[in-house]
Amino acid sequence: MIKQGPRDLVEQVQEAGLCIGCGSCVELCPYFRSHNGKTVVLHDCDLEQGRCHAWCPKAELDLEELSQALWGKPYRFTGVGPHLALTAAKAGPALGEGAFQSGGTVSALLAAALDQGMIQGAVLTGREGLEPLPTLARSLDEIKACAGSKFTAAPTLAAFNRAQAQGAEGLAVVATPCQGAALAQRRLDKVNPDAPTGPAELVVGLFCNWGLDPQGLMRFLGQKVNPETIKAMDIPPPPAGVLTVETTEGTLEIPLDEIRGFIPPACAICPDMTSEWADVSVGMLEGRPGWNTLVVRSEKGRALAEAAADKGWLVLEEMPADMREHLAGAAEAKRARALGAAQEQGLLGGPDEPGPKALRVGPEFWAELSQGKGE
Amino acid sequence: MANSEQANQRLTLMGNQAISRGALEAGMRVAAGYPGTPSSEIIENLAKSADEHGLYVEWSINEKVSLEVAAAASLAGLRSLCAMKQNGVNVASDFLLHLAGSGIRAGMVLVHCDDPGALSSVNEGESRHFARMIELPQLEPGDFQEAKDMTKWAFELSEELGQVVMLRSVTRLSHASGGVVPGPLPEVSGQARFEHNGSLLDPQRGPVTAGPVSVNHPRMQEKLARAVELFEESPFNTYSGPEEPELLVITCSICSLYVKEALVMLGAADRVGVLKLGTTWPLPPKLVQRNLERCERIMVVEEVIPFLEENLKIMAAELAGQIGPKQFMAKREGYLPSTGELNPDLVAAALARALDIEYQERPAGYAAKVASAAQATDTPRELAFCPGCPHRASYWSLKSALALDGRDGFICGDIGCYALGARPSNYGILKTLHAMGSGAGLATGFGQLGRFGMDQPVMAVSGDSTFYHAVIPALINAVHQKSPMSLVIMDNSGTAMTGFQPHPGTQTDAMGHPVPPVDLEGICRALGAEVTVCDPFDLETTRQAAMDMLADQSTAKVLILRQLCALSPERKGKKLYDVQVDPDKCLGGQCGCNRLCTRVFGCPGLAWERETGRAYIDEVICAGCGVCASVCPAGAIIKTERA
Amino acid sequence: MAVELKHDPYNLIITGVGGQGNVLASRMLGAVLTAQGLWVTIGETFGASQRGGSVMSHLRVSQDGSWSPQIPQGRAHMVLALEPLEALRVLETYGNPQSMAIVNDRPVMPYAAIAGHAEYPAAEEVAKWLGELTAQTWIIPATETALELGLPIYANVIMMGALAAVGDLPISREGFEAELIKSLGPAKMARNLDAFDQGAAMIAS
Repeated sequence: MIKQGPRDLVEQVQEAGLCIGCGSCVELCPYFRSHNGKTVVLHDCDLEQGRCHAWCPKAELDLEELSQALWGKPYRFTGVGPHLALTAAKAGPALGEGAFQSGGTVSALLAAALDQGMIQGAVLTGREGLEPLPTLARSLDEIKACAGSKFTAAPTLAAFNRAQAQGAEGLAVVATPCQGAALAQRRLDKVNPDAPTGPAELVVGLFCNWGLDPQGLMRFLGQKVNPETIKAMDIPPPPAGVLTVETTEGTLEIPLDEIRGFIPPACAICPDMTSEWADVSVGMLEGRPGWNTLVVRSEKGRALAEAAADKGWLVLEEMPADMREHLAGAAEAKRARALGAAQEQGLLGGPDEPGPKALRVGPEFWAELSQGKGE
Repeated sequence: MANSEQANQRLTLMGNQAISRGALEAGMRVAAGYPGTPSSEIIENLAKSADEHGLYVEWSINEKVSLEVAAAASLAGLRSLCAMKQNGVNVASDFLLHLAGSGIRAGMVLVHCDDPGALSSVNEGESRHFARMIELPQLEPGDFQEAKDMTKWAFELSEELGQVVMLRSVTRLSHASGGVVPGPLPEVSGQARFEHNGSLLDPQRGPVTAGPVSVNHPRMQEKLARAVELFEESPFNTYSGPEEPELLVITCSICSLYVKEALVMLGAADRVGVLKLGTTWPLPPKLVQRNLERCERIMVVEEVIPFLEENLKIMAAELAGQIGPKQFMAKREGYLPSTGELNPDLVAAALARALDIEYQERPAGYAAKVASAAQATDTPRELAFCPGCPHRASYWSLKSALALDGRDGFICGDIGCYALGARPSNYGILKTLHAMGSGAGLATGFGQLGRFGMDQPVMAVSGDSTFYHAVIPALINAVHQKSPMSLVIMDNSGTAMTGFQPHPGTQTDAMGHPVPPVDLEGICRALGAEVTVCDPFDLETTRQAAMDMLADQSTAKVLILRQLCALSPERKGKKLYDVQVDPDKCLGGQCGCNRLCTRVFGCPGLAWERETGRAYIDEVICAGCGVCASVCPAGAIIKTERA
Repeated sequence: MAVELKHDPYNLIITGVGGQGNVLASRMLGAVLTAQGLWVTIGETFGASQRGGSVMSHLRVSQDGSWSPQIPQGRAHMVLALEPLEALRVLETYGNPQSMAIVNDRPVMPYAAIAGHAEYPAAEEVAKWLGELTAQTWIIPATETALELGLPIYANVIMMGALAAVGDLPISREGFEAELIKSLGPAKMARNLDAFDQGAAMIAS
């Protein structure tokens, strides 16, 4: 891992327009803060290396190193990436009613983890009007209150950092792929191994094709609806091509083309659709409303999924082969598109490529990618 | 001290003290001014002994009003003085022009103190030009005794001419001290009365108006002509040196002491004649001619713009037929600089060049040692806010608010201690800095540029005294023109920069008598601005208030940050808290802090111990405000309230 | 008056950092010397006086009239410094091989040193350079002694006591006492005279 400092972070990420506002660098120190979904630099810090840079998912993310450390194999992912199981899932009867996105699998897993004593609490993202609001939930009710997709980048990890700084332990984090990458890098942390802010106990990853710039979306939606009235948002499977906004006044359909402009540039170079660094990953199950896709990746994830199913928090079913193939194809398409875009922008490199890179891959993969490009 | 001291015993007085002593010796009854370095001590001194001598002395809301207050006294038959710094004359000049047209009655002196080198200013403006532009006589004392004597004479001259007399000091006279033998103080009596029932054309009994110009302007010039006659004989214009020198130096003000020193340094007193002029406008032509005739080569020694030099050259040209051509060696010839202040070394260098003398200030070997020692002192001492200064806390919060707002907003600065916010040591937070009230005025204008695509929010800062002086019109303009400007009034309860003179918001006047304070919030609310009041030592609340202001770009808003200046008489030497650093909690240079308190917050009361890598409080310097405890991210700075 | 001056004008520079009380010290010395019938011209810069900047007062002591309130370069006879680095700074401009200096040993960190942009040189280094730039330098613990007496501002009085003890200028304990009583009144005299004596003793020993 190349260790660099906050000034490098500001130059390579903030000023390069790659900051996604995940909050990984916030609440570690007095220099970075989250405000209105943006990460803001309050003062200049001249350290030569810092956790802010080491953990940022958009600065020197060494995919090869991460993959070796987490999954014990090279970063040459196919389909949904490393996993132990891939199933259909939905919340079981133990969870009760709630405003869940699709199948309620995330809430069910967290409820089970709390119930099992695997975690003491979970950091997830609620919403205040249109503004995503990271929250520390310590009970089932608090978890349920945050259910529902936000579709905007959120400084969830800032809440995680704050909770840890205040002494909270055993926390799960519900993370988008970028946040998952930030958390995964903490397992390799060499900058400050004794610091109180370490990895999460459990990472529940979310599928993500792209996020939306919260300030842009807020301004845009604010012109169409009263943000106070929004109950839920969804992007139904293709070919719908719309963002549906469910409000107390009714449901509004917004063509995706109208909001694509709010997709941050950082999303274009993100190769991860299915949260490949999480213990378990959850997404919608196309063609089967009311169900989720569940990717079980780590042993810890497997233990949780099994226990959740045992205790009735979660209902699992075999995932049909055509759906697996479709998902794998979508994940591969995003990966290829993103690596291509990153390479084109000079943001991708092998381990020894000079200059700052947003992403790095292993030497062989890099040779292959470079060659592919040369042809 | 100088005001009641007995006559004839030599004292060491500050130039400003000498000027106020001169005013007392002239029987002056009313004095007014607005504080501004280097002029402030003149009014302060007079205010101190106002009750003893039966004077009325005020710190007016601004220089123009102070000139009007002083003029009223003169028109009612009382001698009066008005004092201000150089840029104050700009503020007062509109009235001054018209007052020159109407003329005055009892002696009235305008003391204006220039600041060559801008030692305590953001300009080194030359206010003597007003004398020529407005057609008023100009006096310039050359030392401390003259500061007193010429002030006294200025009243007599003013009365004889029926005209305001301008008397110019400079920082190195006003703020330096030297030997002065005081004269006797007169018994003063006589009631104030404004005669206005006579003819419009009767300057002593009629109405007093600037017009009719066809009558008054010729009269102004007659007064100047009479001044010239008096200046021809003035004892304040002196010549010293050989009858037929190689070089004639013509000088004025404190520069005359630099010339004296430089001639001693060069051992050239027997080669050079020195004409020291105390009356620099209008120039007395016979006196000038008599001296120009002494030799061919003329050096003019004065500071900043060549005022005297140009007037002398005009006169030399007019006299050329009688005295022949002269060779000038002055600013326009490159002998002396036309920016910055002078000193004996610069004058000595110019004289050495003119006289072809080699001058070395010290042995060559010493210079080598100096060069080696200079490694230790190559870091200058940056000016920074005092320990415990509320401005540091205010700017800390404003800086954060602007960063969080994220639209590249900025702050227009203004005149006062808080102008130091333009310096890197105080976060370089101010992006414009001009005249009194100009921050708010500029912000009002920037606020209108949204229609041209400017999306940066704009703030202005103002001190409490500056607010009364010149910000109120800008605020009215902002409200009326719907400019979404955010005005932050940093109210530290006095005119702190110049030494805590009272202003309309304070409860005592210059003489120490109780007066009704004019309510700051009340004015702003009455003007239609939304007003929030915060304690800047509460960083969180202040930042939030500033962010709320920035977020709402619909109207003009005012945030008053109120906290006593650390040097105010009420606060000085009294710590609110005992402050300590817990070395076990201090993160020092680690990731997570990286010395935020010493490296970024930068209060001089904080210090850094290299050996342990921890911050500590310098108890000699710390003022005990406790703000750093809120800045520390690790809770390592602990403040304990003092009993 | 029959007061003999070693040099005329005698050029004394009092230096320190804003807030240390230089201005008070220069006025007090000015008053003591004026009472001896001498002419004293004092040049001061006020702008930085409370704001952490370098502050200097120039005193010219003469039998005969006022002098420039700015001492020419290289013409200081004595530098009285409340801060070590400021002593050096003054000597670099105003010192000469015959200059002398009395220096308080307590550093005041410049902003750049607090902020970590620059390092304050070691005391031995400063002492070495002071030695090279003067004929004689006394480095005395004025602030430390002042704190023992109860207030850091006594450092000024300790420095004045030391200056008196050097003997170049006619500053007597009685003369100092007479001026002090005018500005402070009798109440605070004992502690100040104690400070004056302790300063004098630092030169004697």
